[in-house]
Amino acid sequence: MNAVGLPSTFFTDPPEWRWLIIGYFFIGGLAGGCYFLAVLIDFFGGAVDRPLARLGYFVAFPAVVVSGLLLIVDLRRPDRFWHMLIQSDTGHPMLKPYSPMSLGSWALLLFGGFAFLSFLAALEDAGVLRWPRLAMFRPPHIVGRVIGILGGILAFFVAGYTGVLLAVTNRPIWSDTTLLGLNFLISAASTSAALLILLGHRRWYWRSSVAALERFDAMVLVLELIALVALIASLGSMARVWLNAWGALLVVGVFLLGIVIPLVLQWRPNLLGERWSAPAAAVLVLVGGFLLRVVVVLSSESLGVLG
Amino acid sequence: MAEPLGFFTDTTVCIGCKACEVACKEWNQLPSSHGGAPTLSGDSYDNTRQLDGLHWRHVKFVEQFSPDRADGRWLLMSDVCKHCVRAGCMEVCPTGAIMRTEFDTVVIQSDVCNGCRDCIAACPFGVIGINPVSNTAQKCTLCYDRLRAGMEPACSKACPTDSINFGTIADLKKMAAARVGQLHERGEQRAYLYGADEKMLGGLNSFFLLVDKPEVYGLPPDPKMPSRNLTPSSLWSTLGAVVIGLMGIFSFRNRGATARRLEEDDVERRRTA
Amino acid sequence: MYPRSMADSDCVMVMGSNMAECHPVAFRWPMEAKTKNGAKLIHVDPRFTRTSAMADIYAPIRAGSDIAFLGGIINYVIDDQRWSTDPFFKTWLVHYSNAATIISGEYKDTEDNDGVFSGLMEYKGGVEDWPYNGFVGEYDSRSWQYARTRMGDQGRVAATAQSGEVTTTRSGTQADTAKAPDGPPYDALVKSLLKPPPERDESLQNPRCVFQIVKRHFARYTPEMVERVTGCPKDTMLKVARTLLENSGPERTCSFAYAVAWTQHTNGPQIIGCAALLQILLGNFGRPGAGIMALRGHASIQGSTDVPTLYHSIHGYMPAPSGLKKHDTLREYLAIETLPTGYWANTPKFVISYLKSMYGPAATKDNQFGWDWHPKILGDHSHLPMFVAMADGKVKGMLLVGQNPATSLNAKLERAGMRKLEWLVVKDNWLHESATFWKNAPEVKHGDIKVQDIKTEIFFFPSSQVAETEGTFTNTQRMLQTHFKAAEAPGDCRTDVWFTYQLGRRLKKLYAESQEPRDEGFKNLVFDYEHDDARERERGEPDAMKLLKEINGYYSDDPGRHVATFGDLKDDGSTTCASWIYCGVFPAPGQNRAASRQPDPPDQRGAQLNWGYAWPGNRRIIYNRASADLQGRPWSERKKWVWWDEAQQKWVGYDVPDFTPTKPPSAKPKPGATGMDALGGGQPFILKPDGVAWLFVPTGLVDGPLPAHYEPAESPIQNPFYKQQASPVLKYWKRDDNALAAIGDTRFPYVITTYRLTEHYLAGAMSRWNPWLTELQPELFIELSPELAEEKGIRNLDWVRISTPRSQIRAKALVTRRLRPFTIDGKTIHHVGMPWHWGWEGVVTGDVVNELTSLVGDPNVTIHEGKAFVCNVEKVAGARNGVV
Ligand SMILES: Nc1nc2c(c(=O)[nH]1)N[C@H]1C(S)=C(S)[C@@H](COP(=O)(O)OP(=O)(O)OC[C@H]3O[C@@H](n4cnc5c(=O)[nH]c(N)nc54)[C@H](O)[C@@H]3O)O[C@H]1N2
Ligand SMILES: Nc1nc2c(c(=O)[nH]1)N[C@H]1C(S)=C(S)[C@@H](COP(=O)(O)OP(=O)(O)OC[C@H]3O[C@@H](n4cnc5c(=O)[nH]c(N)nc54)[C@H](O)[C@@H]3O)O[C@H]1N2
Ligand code: SF4
Ligand code: SF4
Ligand code: SF4
Ligand code: SF4
Ligand code: SF4
Ligand SMILES: [Mo]
Repeated sequence: MNAVGLPSTFFTDPPEWRWLIIGYFFIGGLAGGCYFLAVLIDFFGGAVDRPLARLGYFVAFPAVVVSGLLLIVDLRRPDRFWHMLIQSDTGHPMLKPYSPMSLGSWALLLFGGFAFLSFLAALEDAGVLRWPRLAMFRPPHIVGRVIGILGGILAFFVAGYTGVLLAVTNRPIWSDTTLLGLNFLISAASTSAALLILLGHRRWYWRSSVAALERFDAMVLVLELIALVALIASLGSMARVWLNAWGALLVVGVFLLGIVIPLVLQWRPNLLGERWSAPAAAVLVLVGGFLLRVVVVLSSESLGVLG
Repeated sequence: MAEPLGFFTDTTVCIGCKACEVACKEWNQLPSSHGGAPTLSGDSYDNTRQLDGLHWRHVKFVEQFSPDRADGRWLLMSDVCKHCVRAGCMEVCPTGAIMRTEFDTVVIQSDVCNGCRDCIAACPFGVIGINPVSNTAQKCTLCYDRLRAGMEPACSKACPTDSINFGTIADLKKMAAARVGQLHERGEQRAYLYGADEKMLGGLNSFFLLVDKPEVYGLPPDPKMPSRNLTPSSLWSTLGAVVIGLMGIFSFRNRGATARRLEEDDVERRRTA
Repeated sequence: MYPRSMADSDCVMVMGSNMAECHPVAFRWPMEAKTKNGAKLIHVDPRFTRTSAMADIYAPIRAGSDIAFLGGIINYVIDDQRWSTDPFFKTWLVHYSNAATIISGEYKDTEDNDGVFSGLMEYKGGVEDWPYNGFVGEYDSRSWQYARTRMGDQGRVAATAQSGEVTTTRSGTQADTAKAPDGPPYDALVKSLLKPPPERDESLQNPRCVFQIVKRHFARYTPEMVERVTGCPKDTMLKVARTLLENSGPERTCSFAYAVAWTQHTNGPQIIGCAALLQILLGNFGRPGAGIMALRGHASIQGSTDVPTLYHSIHGYMPAPSGLKKHDTLREYLAIETLPTGYWANTPKFVISYLKSMYGPAATKDNQFGWDWHPKILGDHSHLPMFVAMADGKVKGMLLVGQNPATSLNAKLERAGMRKLEWLVVKDNWLHESATFWKNAPEVKHGDIKVQDIKTEIFFFPSSQVAETEGTFTNTQRMLQTHFKAAEAPGDCRTDVWFTYQLGRRLKKLYAESQEPRDEGFKNLVFDYEHDDARERERGEPDAMKLLKEINGYYSDDPGRHVATFGDLKDDGSTTCASWIYCGVFPAPGQNRAASRQPDPPDQRGAQLNWGYAWPGNRRIIYNRASADLQGRPWSERKKWVWWDEAQQKWVGYDVPDFTPTKPPSAKPKPGATGMDALGGGQPFILKPDGVAWLFVPTGLVDGPLPAHYEPAESPIQNPFYKQQASPVLKYWKRDDNALAAIGDTRFPYVITTYRLTEHYLAGAMSRWNPWLTELQPELFIELSPELAEEKGIRNLDWVRISTPRSQIRAKALVTRRLRPFTIDGKTIHHVGMPWHWGWEGVVTGDVVNELTSLVGDPNVTIHEGKAFVCNVEKVAGARNGVV
């Protein structure tokens, strides 16, 4: 073993965060992203966009439930998941503002609550629940506005803190950049937009809303492209560790499939035919977003010297 | 708080006997990997390989020989949790399972830990691992139970050559400085202390005397706190959130009018079709 | 010397041992010498080990070439200026050693006798009933004697495990004493043994004086020859020699540490003797931090030679009565075995007190204290010949108590022996390989031997562990320490004393009615150690304190009164004492000194006299009178230990003086006196009849008075030193299953050695069942150099096959630069090594390395040559354990 010259982060152990965590990062990102998109639409869109926002809420709540479950199942002691929220010995709340995971647990819980209320309102809106008072949980009702603002902020948090969580460690790649949170957040936005596009594009009367979303997505993808380049740049010489299959996956899967091709498809929808290019682009964005997390998580997991 | 306690490990007198490893396992009743029958590692005499939930001490064997053997050393070192004054593991732990004791040591409370493994990623030294029996994160406790009973830790007690010295940090630092001086005097100019001063994470309460670069012993040259990334990462993310928010606003702003117009277009198109 | 004393050394040379790995706890003392005093640590070993890692100088040598290396140092020391001019070394040489003594004119050294000593002849000894002594030749040592004295005057062959025959039988010693008066008292007999003192030349110029002989003998051990034979660069050897010399003298001391890498050779005692010779030249005995540390193996292995399980000696290092010597009567035995001068002049007192402890009141002056009842040996009954006899079907049954011969020694042949037994009792903590060989041994698994063909009836007795037993240990320091029972043994597990005691009681009952004369001994044997504690008595456990009392000794007519020192022992039967050297450990009822646990205050100079009890007489350093000069003054303040106090007119110091306490340094030997009176005040080596340390060893060794380099029984080269290839008197049992490779046999080109790992214990029962240990070293491996690996296309962790003319086994390759190819006699010779702890039972299993070794032994002590032989190594595909 000749470890001389290796950066300090190589002397740490991988936490074995694998597929469940990747799944959590991805679905959690969608939960947050869909929610904040829905809130943005509710606040700034027209009445015609409300069904699309409703779709966002429909996605956000189940997604946050699923992601929470993934997180719990990934614990080596799932029976003690609540220790993250309540001190097991004193019963007091357990909160460490400087620990992303601690803060994230609370954020997830609270966000889950808001997402649930919005979800109820959305159900009412869709006519599934016939209890008009539930409409108050959604803007324009004042309660709904408060929920939207708080939930939306939490949604941004949930979508982005996972990257910060990875950064606040000592693992190679993760802690060698401060841009993972940013990248995950942007990716949450782009994948969420893509998901909503995918779910919404077949309904003709949503067309204009979806079109706005597509424009949004295009902007975000450009941003994502920049952020990704910045991420690699910020890794500096550490980026060398991606000179392998993971790097290839990053370039092909995330860059090309996940960003560049969708952008091209938006720019030149005729390439695949009007009918297919939007969903195809959306699927690719989703795949790219997923692969981004796969590459980031697993490429670091496989690194290190035995210590 | 009592006086800070810890270890000074003088690697130059470690004979690699692994008594510390076994004493630790025996005292803490830690089981063996693979029922005691793992396969041969082929890496010198090191079949323990790393610190983890079942191995709270790990003796490293570094063979350094030039091809003609004119130069040859076999560096031996017993590694353990550093009980950092500023402990990364403790900083990130979301359950509060990791605590600082009255002896200024860092202990994971196994009954609190829920196995999230954030501490594993956070420890700059790769110390912590999941114990497959308790399914919680575990590492050296600096024999908290023994310290409380006024006893010396099991590993240092078992060490036949006093490679592992246990005591108050103040005493250990004096002892260590004297030993470095002695080695320099005897011509071993490479001897230095790793982690003895505050510059490294506020000081390691388990520090080492080494005679080669830290990396040679599998130690990070420049360990850092995980929280160094907290503020910049958060700021970048917040900035991102603002930009995305603005993009969203931009995309859906005035959607009342535009959408209506689009709908009308649609009705038109259908009619003509 | 003892391990703690090594902390006082200025240079520690570990050679023939891997002290850090095999004696890690004792190794703290050399480490302390290093860290506290800046002592130099030297390690001489074929492999770079964990001991080498701590060493200031590491000298690689080919296994089996130790005498060549040490001889080179001796040659350097003798030639060095400082050594020959300094009064310290001069005094040591002239007064504390036998350098000035003149050797018989008939003596011929290897230099003048084609590489062998004078007196070599064909082996014709032994008796028909026991053709297993194994000698390939024999020396008549008459010509090695001091001039003007005869064979047997200098010493005896007591402490060696040869066949029990000595040329004394032919030398006529007993003829002289035939007319000597009988005893008790035996003073007159002892006096009749006196001979005129040997000739001396204190100028050391006489060509026949020991010094000149030694000088000539080692002249050919030049640095070039050392390099050629050992493979160690001559500069390294010279650096070692310089370091030893620089750290010897009045102000400084060196110590040596060895274990079985010096003993497991066909000339092991000669290697140790060679180191002793060097240490005498350097003045390194009887002083703090000086001497030769014999690192003993098992816990209480020292105890087991003091109160021996050895066949060839009775308690306290006295020769076992032998059918091959003129031992027909007690008087004859005493006449042969007593040395009239020096401490051994007390032999009659020790022997008779011993006989009293065997036979109690039945032993009287009239029946020679039961002499006729005592069993006599017929030849070499040690481990190796016993198993050869067993394989020949000559042995009916065996009690195997705490041993694992199915793997620990020449495994295949030993299992063949055990298969021939009618019955076998295994008493152990584990069902180890020697308990399961009949169903799980490789030859059974392979179908070469059928289980139903093995007729041996095997009984397994589960044993309690040490912590479940009360008693004493004697450690490598000769120190007895009581250990108490910490836990009750589970189930049917019983202690070894229980087993022995109960067996003895039952046999006594069986013989009680017998009228056979041969059973008299058993009938008269005193065997009564009933426990005072009712519960233990009910379990049949004997009382450990009663056993200790028996060993310590008491007054025959007043058993409540213990003997306080061996000075009080009598030759008239009035004292009873099983082992004279242990006298004083239990000086009075309730005063068990083995249980004392009082360390000296920290930083006070001392010998820790109140911690445990070290025989003889609680001396910690033997021959410690040598720590003072001729006038009795300490050689230096730094190395003060024991000195003559003018005011008090006695010897005082940190330790118990190992000398007549009030004999002034100026005292002259009394003419015509026996015992200690025959030694002057300047003769520290009181167990030697001439009171000095022996550079030249006229008696006591059967393979020569001086060490000479011989090749191991299996070697890749012709002996470059002498025409004689290997020891001319080594032991070898020629059998089809014990073939040896010819010199330089190209089928077995590599030198192989076997050794231990810190992580395992011997044959493995005590470590391979413990997962905490097995995970540290889970698999058998062979260590080899990258050079050999490349030559043979072997990669790290590949499976390889290792073969010798006896057998072949498999192991995983551990390729490491810690092993190196040697250039020996101009040829590149690869060296490999294997730890030998594996077997087919336990948590981890692996092939038995001792399938490879052969039954060749040292002629003095019959230990096998497990440390140097030859083999072949090849890569194999597949990963199955078992003999292939
Ligand atoms: N951990 C552990 N400790 C033990 C034991 C154990 O099994 N495990 N066994 C105990 C027992 S019973 C004994 S007898 C002692 C034995 O203690 P040691 O004699 O120290 O042990 P070994 O490992 O057999 O051999 C020591 C070294 O001799 C080297 N060697 C081999 N051939 C030669 C040679 O010809 N010349 C020289 N100079 N060196 C050579 C080997 O490379 C090896 O490093 O250890 C005791 N202590
Ligand atoms: N090739 C090679 N062979 C060697 C050696 C070598 O260096 N190389 N070394 C040799 C040496 S030095 C030695 S000492 C021998 C050792 O060889 P062995 O003595 O045959 O091996 P051990 O494993 O020590 O066997 C001791 C047994 O005693 C049992 N035991 C432990 N405590 C007790 C007790 O209180 N009572 C009873 N009844 N049993 C107990 C243990 O379980 C174990 O099975 O091997 C020799 N063989
Ligand atoms: S070494 Fe690692 S586990 Fe130990 S206190 Fe420091 S950060 Fe925590
Ligand atoms: S694994 Fe346990 S100790 Fe480690 S951070 Fe999580 S809860 Fe804390
Ligand atoms: S201090 Fe205790 S827990 Fe830590 S390594 Fe030593 S024995 Fe193990
Ligand atoms: S017990 Fe001491 S000498 Fe042995 S391996 Fe551990 S630190 Fe090294
Ligand atoms: S095993 Fe026992 S005798 Fe051997 S070194 Fe360890 S403590 Fe000493
Ligand atoms: Mo041994």
